[in-house]
Amino acid sequence: MQTIKVRVQASIRYRGKNEWLFQALFILLFALNGHGLPAQPAPSREYQLKAVFLFNFTQFVDWPPTSFDADESPLVIGILGANPFGSFLEETVSGEKINGHPVTVHYCQSDEDAQNCHLLFVNLPDVKKRKAIITTLKGKNVLTVSDASDFSKLGGMIKFFTSNNKIKLQVNLEATKESELVLSSKLLRLAEIFKSEKSN
Amino acid sequence: MMLYKNIPIRKKLLRIVFLINGIVLFVTCVTFFIYEFYIFRKTTSEKLSTIGKIIAANSTAALAFQNADDAKEILAALKAEPHIVAASLYDKDGKIFSKYATTARESVFPVSPGVAGFSFTNSYLDGFTPVTQDNRQLGTLYLKSDMGDMYERLRLYGTIVVLVLVISFFLAYVLVRFLQKSISTPILALAQTAKVISDQKVYSVRAVKMGNDELGTLTEAFNHMLDQIEEQNRNLVEFNQNLEQKVMERTEQLESVNKELEGFSYSVSHDLRAPLRAVIGFTSMLEEDYTSKLDDEAMRITSVIKKNTIKMGHLIDDLLAFSRMGRQDGTKTAIDMTEMLNEVITSLSPVEGNGAISWDIQPLPRANGNANMIRQVWVNLVSNAIKYSRKRKAPHIEIGSFDKDNKHVFFVRDNGVGFDQLYQDKLFKVFQRLHSAEEFEGTGVGLALVEKIISKQGGDVWAEAEKDKGACFYFSLPI
Repeated sequence: MQTIKVRVQASIRYRGKNEWLFQALFILLFALNGHGLPAQPAPSREYQLKAVFLFNFTQFVDWPPTSFDADESPLVIGILGANPFGSFLEETVSGEKINGHPVTVHYCQSDEDAQNCHLLFVNLPDVKKRKAIITTLKGKNVLTVSDASDFSKLGGMIKFFTSNNKIKLQVNLEATKESELVLSSKLLRLAEIFKSEKSN
Repeated sequence: MMLYKNIPIRKKLLRIVFLINGIVLFVTCVTFFIYEFYIFRKTTSEKLSTIGKIIAANSTAALAFQNADDAKEILAALKAEPHIVAASLYDKDGKIFSKYATTARESVFPVSPGVAGFSFTNSYLDGFTPVTQDNRQLGTLYLKSDMGDMYERLRLYGTIVVLVLVISFFLAYVLVRFLQKSISTPILALAQTAKVISDQKVYSVRAVKMGNDELGTLTEAFNHMLDQIEEQNRNLVEFNQNLEQKVMERTEQLESVNKELEGFSYSVSHDLRAPLRAVIGFTSMLEEDYTSKLDDEAMRITSVIKKNTIKMGHLIDDLLAFSRMGRQDGTKTAIDMTEMLNEVITSLSPVEGNGAISWDIQPLPRANGNANMIRQVWVNLVSNAIKYSRKRKAPHIEIGSFDKDNKHVFFVRDNGVGFDQLYQDKLFKVFQRLHSAEEFEGTGVGLALVEKIISKQGGDVWAEAEKDKGACFYFSLPI
């Protein structure tokens, strides 16, 4: 725990330029949470796994080439809402490249900001906000992932859920198709496919 | 086991073909067996490697999203390949993530993943395949295959080899039985011909030529040789006939010359007797009419002259008898030998003047022959016996006969002086004597005459004797 804290602080210091921005974010998060949680909590085992999973999604999902500005453009993993991974996600993706695209982590400030991501982890406790971001990203080449139990129903693409103490996946294929994202059959085999009430 | 060089050529050919066939097939089969073994190992290795790659490719998501159920399901798909006995997946950290084993016995896995690649250990093929997604290693797959597949295949291969061997040996046997005839038949025919010739001495037989190969040449040469032998045989027979003809001619010449000689000696002996008679006559006249006028010495000389002249007369008589034999025709009659012998003994006994002889005369069979000549034989043999046993205190003469080899054998045995067996060959030759004239008078013609007569009658003469212990003379006549 201690070491993680130190490392996180070091990474913050490295980003000295954006210090103001970060402090503002922390204040915002603090205000939004209203729970008085520490700004940089050590991620639980569950979120460590989820961080790895987020990175692994990039290996099993094909984005349309148009979603990249150039061949060397980064593949951006965004986090909208509070960051539950601490620095763990950044550590996981550091130095990794997917099809020549370096993988980076971006902490999104707004829904508009999230549009530039390739993969967005939605961590918004407010269902309205979740609905809003999903609506905003509809048809955009952004793979949305969330813990929220209603995420698939809302039109999110991949939902983490826990069953038998294991993290499972639920995929909304209609949503991914609409966003022109191709999920590997291997990934789909592992996942539970969400069927919307409409199609039923 | 029969020696190879002693077995028939047909079997030899069969064995040669079998041996070559066997060796060729064996070498071929062993080569293919080895080839197959290595190819199969390679194929098995490649196959396992391919399966490994497929399984690894399928397990990426399971490893990436820690889905043990999926991993298990993927590994369970290996059931389709029963020779893969064990498999396991290792995660990024080298910990076993999922396991698969056909039996509990096989459920032993390496603790941590090793270097990628497959190798044969004992009767297993096993190794590791990295599980990668986009060149990123997510874990490692371990696969273990038993070689049952290979042994099954090699067993099948072995069965095929045995079948091929059996079939090819059978075919070889049938073909050789059929084809070897082209070689063995001419040889056997040749051998058969040679055997007939050597067994039956028939040189007119010829071997049949069956082709223009070396055997054909051999047959030709063999037949040519027979031609030559036959030719030489003909020459030999012709030569023999010529020789016989020549011998006959010579014999005829000799016989006529011999006859001339006999005629000559007869006339000589006969002509010699006439002057001798005059000498005896006039000597007798001297003795009788001039006794008073001649002194004692003259009378003695006269008596010596007379004595020698008489002796010469005997000699001439004997010579005459001997030469007459050749001139006489052999008119044969049945002779009562007992009667003839009695006559001879009666005529001889008073002359010899020896009544002291004890006679033992057995009954004799009748015999065929010229009576005059046989009488002469008895006279000569009996008088000889009397002469040479006269000086004994108790002279004994035994006369008898027996049958032998389809001939009557007659014998005259005395207990006289006998003779040395060493000189037997001289016994029956003219003028050959074993005793001096002073000891026993005689001309040396008697036994020669006996021999000549008996051989003319178709019989044999021989004698047995021991010095000072008597002699026995035998003669045989055909029954």
